Amino acid sequence: MINTGKWKRWRHGLIARGLFAVFGVVLLLAAISSVIVSSTVNYRESQQAVKALNELVAAVASTASIASFTQDEQLATEVVQGLMSNSDVLRVAIRSTDKVLASAEREHANVSLTKTGNADQIVYPLTSPFQRDERIGEIVLDSDWSNINARVNKSTKDALLIQIGQMTLVVFIAALIMFYLVVRPIKLISDRLHSLGGSSGNLLSVPRGHAKSEIGLLVGDINDLTGRLVATLEQERDLQRQQIIARRKYQNLFDHAASGIFVANRRGQLDSFNRTFTRLTWFPDSESTEPRLLTEINWRDPEQLLTMLANSLDGKNESTEYQGDFVLSGRRGIDRWVNIAVLPLGDGNVQGTISDVTQRKQEEISAKHQAITDTLTGFANRIGLQYALNELSSSTPPFALVMVNLKGFKQINEAFGLHVGDQLLFKVSTRLKQILSADDHAARVDADEYVLVLKGEQERNAINQRMDQLLQLLNQPYAIQTADKHNNISISAIIGIAFFPMDGSNLNDLLRSAELAVNSVENYNESSYQYFDPAQQTAVEHRRRLEDDLRHAVITNELQLAFQPIIDISVGKTVGAEALLRWLHPEQGMISPEVFIPLAEQVGLINQIGLLVLEEACRHSAGWRESGMDIYVSVNVSAKQIPNGLTPLAVQQALERHNLSPSAIVLEVTESLLMANVAVAQSWIESIRALGVRIYLDDFGTGYSSLSYLKRFPMDKVKIDKSFIRDLYIDKSDRALVEAIITMANSLGLKVVAEGVEDEQQLAILREMGCGCVQGYYFSRAVTAAEFGPSLLRINAELAKDMDVAG
Amino acid sequence: MLLTPIASADVVLVANPNSGIEKLTQSDVINIYLGRYRLLPTGSTAVPIDLSDKTEIKAKFYQLLVDKNLAEINAYWSRLVFSGKTRPPMQIDNVNDALQWVANNLNALAYMDRADVSSDVIIVFEWPSL
Repeated sequence: MINTGKWKRWRHGLIARGLFAVFGVVLLLAAISSVIVSSTVNYRESQQAVKALNELVAAVASTASIASFTQDEQLATEVVQGLMSNSDVLRVAIRSTDKVLASAEREHANVSLTKTGNADQIVYPLTSPFQRDERIGEIVLDSDWSNINARVNKSTKDALLIQIGQMTLVVFIAALIMFYLVVRPIKLISDRLHSLGGSSGNLLSVPRGHAKSEIGLLVGDINDLTGRLVATLEQERDLQRQQIIARRKYQNLFDHAASGIFVANRRGQLDSFNRTFTRLTWFPDSESTEPRLLTEINWRDPEQLLTMLANSLDGKNESTEYQGDFVLSGRRGIDRWVNIAVLPLGDGNVQGTISDVTQRKQEEISAKHQAITDTLTGFANRIGLQYALNELSSSTPPFALVMVNLKGFKQINEAFGLHVGDQLLFKVSTRLKQILSADDHAARVDADEYVLVLKGEQERNAINQRMDQLLQLLNQPYAIQTADKHNNISISAIIGIAFFPMDGSNLNDLLRSAELAVNSVENYNESSYQYFDPAQQTAVEHRRRLEDDLRHAVITNELQLAFQPIIDISVGKTVGAEALLRWLHPEQGMISPEVFIPLAEQVGLINQIGLLVLEEACRHSAGWRESGMDIYVSVNVSAKQIPNGLTPLAVQQALERHNLSPSAIVLEVTESLLMANVAVAQSWIESIRALGVRIYLDDFGTGYSSLSYLKRFPMDKVKIDKSFIRDLYIDKSDRALVEAIITMANSLGLKVVAEGVEDEQQLAILREMGCGCVQGYYFSRAVTAAEFGPSLLRINAELAKDMDVAG
Repeated sequence: MLLTPIASADVVLVANPNSGIEKLTQSDVINIYLGRYRLLPTGSTAVPIDLSDKTEIKAKFYQLLVDKNLAEINAYWSRLVFSGKTRPPMQIDNVNDALQWVANNLNALAYMDRADVSSDVIIVFEWPSL
């Protein structure tokens, strides 16, 4: 093995390569030169042989010519034998002009001749020794080419051998020179380089005698390069050291960070992560050398995190941080919430920080739960209902929304106290739960209003069954314990049902539709349920338009007061005027107060309107008083204005503004106002009367008409409703009633105003009954403020005439 | 006066008047004297006679005939003598003996100065006068 290695090294060494090269070249040259040499030697040797033979012949020519001249065969024979002593001569003959004087040939002449033919025959002419121009014979000589060739070949071989010897010598010497001049110094440098340490600053020494040779220069260059390399390595080492220090610092930060830190790629392959990461994510231990994956963590939704990683990596802005909260499914059902924020690193990885936000999440969830829950019943509140509907409406429509309203709950609250009311509500919710299936939702959206969402219900028959069942349940008496006694309270529920999405595509619309359905039940005044009817919606929409118009009317003074004179028939004189509100709608014409006053009460405009009316009434009253008419103006007060809409202070200020005495204004209240909140009404009335402003009880006879009210609430006058006056002379019971009222009022020291007096007959009866004041068409319909003065004069004049007649 | 005959000595080749030979060409003379042919136009074999090397006329003769000095002529003959087949011409010491030999021998030929020619011989070859 070692030998093979050495051989291989040697084979690739300079000597070997040089030798191979030189040897190759020499071999080639040798081949070429041996061809040249052999051919030239061959040619030269042949030429020489021919030349030598020619010279030989020439040398014997004079003797031969003498022999020929004298025909001396003896002499010719001697010449021939002399020639034959030359080994190159194959055959020779000396001829005179007429005969062969002498000839000789070698034994193998015949064989040779056949080979060579006569091509190389020398024919030398012999001339007379005394007369050069006379030819007397010739020498004919055949050269022996076999002999010549053998000699020539030998010469050639010798020449080649010498040349090969020379070349071998040259190769050997060249190899030696190469070895000593080039290879050995290079080997020397190479060995020294090997023994030099990579980073040491040692320098190579120049091999002896190579100070100025290329080898020397090479060593110089290597030393230069080594120097620079060493310097660069030093710098590199310094940098590495700094990096190690820096890395160690960051490693410490990384390892001991309170946040979990990780670096991962798009597929969630983790490049690195710290201990906190492992702790926070319950990252399982692994012996595997495979890259760890974020998806090994027990996420409730692993895709969510990968999506965020992809978003971060695909984001245009690298400094944009993506973050989100993720749930880890823990053991024993204890989940952990972590917040993960990721930033792209620019190399296809993101760095992420992870922190435990379970507590915050739990607080959030708890707060959210509280925010959407009715604490009393545990049902959802309105917000919770909204969430539930959001989910439902996006997943499984249609469904039915059932609104359950507890009629008279307010009265129970008032009568028994909030504590009982709360118990009642709790018990109601318990009963409601009985008809709910698992998918249904229940919410309490108002004090006495529940909403049930019946998922997947759209068949009215099925709903009807459930509603009947529900009503039966709710209408059972509720046993409620109070401190002192055991109560059995009954309450009736009315129910409105609306369907999603047909009756409303959002919570508000649905609730409104259900509410409308509830209202339609309420109108029937019974415990029942109704489905939403689009006609209700139309009515509602009409009302809403009217509401808008009313708001507009308040601002633009479309609302005007009309005044109906109140006449004291005992003295025959107009004593006051009832201010009646008129609304001349620009499109719909005159709109009845019976329409728009309830509307104003419902939409909260009544207070504003009430103050407006009071203000106008005061203004006109002041005007009339200034022009000498001692007239009070009575103003109707709605139950909704009590007590804050029309405070005693506001009344007082209005009077003061117009410099009016309290007797210039009368406030008319209804029985229902008194009933709504007895205590509040009582104190309000007392405050008003304390100002000196009189209170009339309006529409007497239509409600409870309990005389006990009259005792309880101090009134100044009682106004008998026009429905009793209308049939006064036809209906005896009405007449009896009116008479009784008047008698009772008189006995209580109250005056009576009869409304709706339309003819003389009615007036006569009333006068007979001892009724003090009247108002009605008989004297005047309600007129504008401008018309009021003339009407008053006319009425008074007529009354004076009657009085005269009567008198 | 002594020098004049030598300088102007004419070398001629003489033969026996009865030999039948009338005239020879220089080429005939070369062939006969340098051993190529010795056959005369008459059909008989010529016997050329050479003079001693001491004679001036011999050098002059060969100089005129083949433009070679006597040393060269001797070297030529020394190569042929070795084979034994062709022999150099017979050598006679003086002109008079040569004259005598030609006069007495039909096939003999000899060269000499024109002045030495006797009536016993005829001139068969001579170099034209200069």
